[in-house]
Amino acid sequence: MLASLVLHLLGLVLLPFLLPGVINRVKAWWGGRRGAPLLQPFWDTRRLLGKQPVYSDVTTAVFRLAPLVVVATAVVASLLAPLVPGAGIFPFANDFVAFAYVVGLGRMFLMLAALDTGSPFEGMGTAREATFAVFAEPALFLVLGTLALGSGHGNFAELMLPHGWQAFLVSPLCATALFLLLLIESARLPVDDPTTHLELTMIHEVMILDHSGVDLAMMQYAAGLKLTLYAGMLAALVNPFPAHDQPLLSALVSLALMFVTAVAIGFVESLVARLRMRLIPQFAFVIAALGVVALLLASTQPELG
Amino acid sequence: MPLLHVATLSLLLGALLCIAVPGNSKRAAIGIASQVIATFLVLAAVGPVLGHQPAIVAELTWSYPVDLILLRIDGLGALFLAFSMPLTLLGAVYAHGYLRPYFQSDRNIGVHYALLNFVSLSYLIIYSVENAMGFLLGWEIAALAAWLLVIWDYRNQKVRFAGFNYLVSTHLGVLFLITAFLVLFSQTHSFDFSQFAVALHSPGMTRNVTFLLLVASFGLKSAFFPAHTWLPRAHAAAPAHVSALMSGVIHKAGLYGLLRFTLLMGAPDEWMGWFLIAFALLSAVTGVVYTTVQRDLKRLLGYSSTENVGIACLGFGLGYLGLTWHNPVLVVLGFAGGLLHILHHAIFKCLLFYAAGAVYSATHSVDIERLGGLARRMPQTAVAFLLGGVAIAALPPLNGFVSEFLLYSALFDDSVVGGQNRGLLVLAATVLAFVGAVSAFSMTRAFGLTFLGTSRDPTIHGAQDPGPAMRSALYILSALLFVFGLVPQVGLTLVAVPAGQFIALTHRGLDVAQVLAVPLGLLLPIVGVSVAVLLLVGALAAVRKWASPAPALTHRTWGCGYTEPVPRAQYTGASFSGHLASYYKTLLPMKVTQRLPTGLFPAEAHLRMHAVDAVEDRMFEVLDTGEATLALLAEKTPQSPRIAFAVGLLVLVATIALVLASTGGRL
Repeated sequence: MLASLVLHLLGLVLLPFLLPGVINRVKAWWGGRRGAPLLQPFWDTRRLLGKQPVYSDVTTAVFRLAPLVVVATAVVASLLAPLVPGAGIFPFANDFVAFAYVVGLGRMFLMLAALDTGSPFEGMGTAREATFAVFAEPALFLVLGTLALGSGHGNFAELMLPHGWQAFLVSPLCATALFLLLLIESARLPVDDPTTHLELTMIHEVMILDHSGVDLAMMQYAAGLKLTLYAGMLAALVNPFPAHDQPLLSALVSLALMFVTAVAIGFVESLVARLRMRLIPQFAFVIAALGVVALLLASTQPELG
Repeated sequence: MPLLHVATLSLLLGALLCIAVPGNSKRAAIGIASQVIATFLVLAAVGPVLGHQPAIVAELTWSYPVDLILLRIDGLGALFLAFSMPLTLLGAVYAHGYLRPYFQSDRNIGVHYALLNFVSLSYLIIYSVENAMGFLLGWEIAALAAWLLVIWDYRNQKVRFAGFNYLVSTHLGVLFLITAFLVLFSQTHSFDFSQFAVALHSPGMTRNVTFLLLVASFGLKSAFFPAHTWLPRAHAAAPAHVSALMSGVIHKAGLYGLLRFTLLMGAPDEWMGWFLIAFALLSAVTGVVYTTVQRDLKRLLGYSSTENVGIACLGFGLGYLGLTWHNPVLVVLGFAGGLLHILHHAIFKCLLFYAAGAVYSATHSVDIERLGGLARRMPQTAVAFLLGGVAIAALPPLNGFVSEFLLYSALFDDSVVGGQNRGLLVLAATVLAFVGAVSAFSMTRAFGLTFLGTSRDPTIHGAQDPGPAMRSALYILSALLFVFGLVPQVGLTLVAVPAGQFIALTHRGLDVAQVLAVPLGLLLPIVGVSVAVLLLVGALAAVRKWASPAPALTHRTWGCGYTEPVPRAQYTGASFSGHLASYYKTLLPMKVTQRLPTGLFPAEAHLRMHAVDAVEDRMFEVLDTGEATLALLAEKTPQSPRIAFAVGLLVLVATIALVLASTGGRL
């Protein structure tokens, strides 16, 4: 318990910088470059914290409030989401619903801050983010609801525990769905390109065009944290060692799996072209289809039926 | 009971006086004063009932054919009275500010206030009578008063049409209600609800038919899909406080009717639960999808009523399943969640309509495509609308999240037996998540485009926050969002007695207090989550202030290299929802008129997009061409024996079905 708590809190502070660093290093490696230091995102953040912020004269208090809400919701969400199977930090019944809605609050303020600038580009990014969220959020509920049904548990950490013979089918399907969701939610290829040079083609990056200094640092940290907590969820689902048996081993395996996830994202980003905007909802439908298949399997479990 | 008599008298006397006395200020004052008296008396009377005291019972003797009307205010009626009366009073206060410009004119404001009193009076009747005749009377008073309130601006033909549309629709609903009552009358030879209860207790055809008729009628009243078409028109046409009251309070009577007859019916059949869930989700989904494309703020809010009654009804469907499966936890989660959602919706919907009304009084427009940047000129209204938007999208830390969390808890309840059942409920939860996500989309769009950015129409200027009467309504309702969101004990205390009534339908010997503790146990952790978010935001704000290296600079918005941005280039409502709407073309038909620029030297070009209501559009289409089709049929029928035979057969089958239905299959 203590080990997983320490890991969790350390993960909250370190991994949002480290995982994007790993992804960038993998992409550099695929591109034949040496790449930036692994902790480059951390140095970027430190530099941003020392900078004088610039605010658009169009913006209101919403713009200044948004980074605070975005970081606060990301932190609270990451305390709700598990990194290891079977041991959450603050587990309670249906905490995954609270998780999804806390993330939703952060998303709403991220979008409102973008609209607050009155910039047509940021409006475009906001519309995209809002539209894709409409498809991604139900998919998340489908996956988590299926896991809850399959595992027979009602809280986030315990529904990651393997359970029953269908686990061999349900878990891989849900893990695939979660990985695809991660690509949407943390704005990676093939959904969004974090390194594109053109505002017209961005989603997440275009929404934070006008943020600067400490506000931009907060937005980027929150984005890293969101990536971390999705990678953590995925790790908890795939991790075969329940935390209450071997806490240290379980924690280390989860950590390793999160790095594997980051490497996998790096592979995807290097090898896959981005989708056209119109195809992204179909991408979310694929997740939903995986979820429905998993749900059918889970709901025919003999011990429940 | 004497308190309620005095309350009724106060409302009637107030209505009379505020028409009779001269001077609009005095009329408004009398109207509000009589509402204050009535509200306090009613709250004093129903408060004890919600505190586990026995129901208030009385008898009214009337002339033939009614003879005797039983009045009975139990927990359910008390709950509805406890939120309807104060919110109507708040509406009357808001009206004092909203109708201010008319006070100097020679128009009699008293009539408006008298009608508001009649609306309150209709609650007193509907939520207390135990007799079909009395119920219909209250129903009709509410319908007529609401109609007359809607056509406040009756000189405008569009407003008159919206009012007429409402009047016809609501009476279609009454038709179903009367049919249901007559079916029950034919069984019991009585209009008393207690006799109806006896007839409804036995499962069979009569009960099924009556149930469907009642759902149709109450669904029409509460604007469920596909009977919602009157609602966006009426809400867009009516004054803001009337829209707020209709959406948040008056039409909750439909859901009350459903619950009242559930109590009369006792344990329902399982199919009724699934039917209600499907019906509810259909409304929730269509209602919320419609909100994404509206350019009229009040129309948008109107559609979101269809969504929210659907969400509340989902809870009742789950409660039905709990009753049939003898699962008291599911019963309490479903009914308490649904009732809480009704209460919460009344609060945030009124708040949103009041904020939209403030925008209208300041700018004379509620068109999202023309507005923009109002947050800097109307900061208090903007905060109120934002809070309402966060609450209606069911996001923490406000009250919408609390009631939806209870519904999710019911949907993911692990005490439900059967993998298929649980699988279906998980699917329902997915649909609810979709509704929540689309609602967040709509509210981001509505708030972001109306209050943020810059104004899209240079002719709109000089907007400012409304006067104290309207502001007070915004303050009170905003505060309530936090109270019900962060102290769930308040809401749960209010719904405890009515929820207990539903548990008692199937579980007589059960310790109700123990079951009622379940929702609180589920809600306390999420209050912790909400508080954590709020505290963290505060802490981060303090850290940012302390750590800021230098005072911030101000510059114009980064235009990606373009240095002369014009407000018209901002994203519009239509462009915001264009991509999403393209996935729901059947539901969201777009009327597009366009002349696109062509050639090297394009001439004037334009593009107009208008979202129409698919149901209404098709209905009018059928009405339009239907007459011709019927005429053709009537022409052909005499020559074609086959058609005549078919029609005759249909009539015969319908008649037999009705006869069978009315005898409950016992010939």
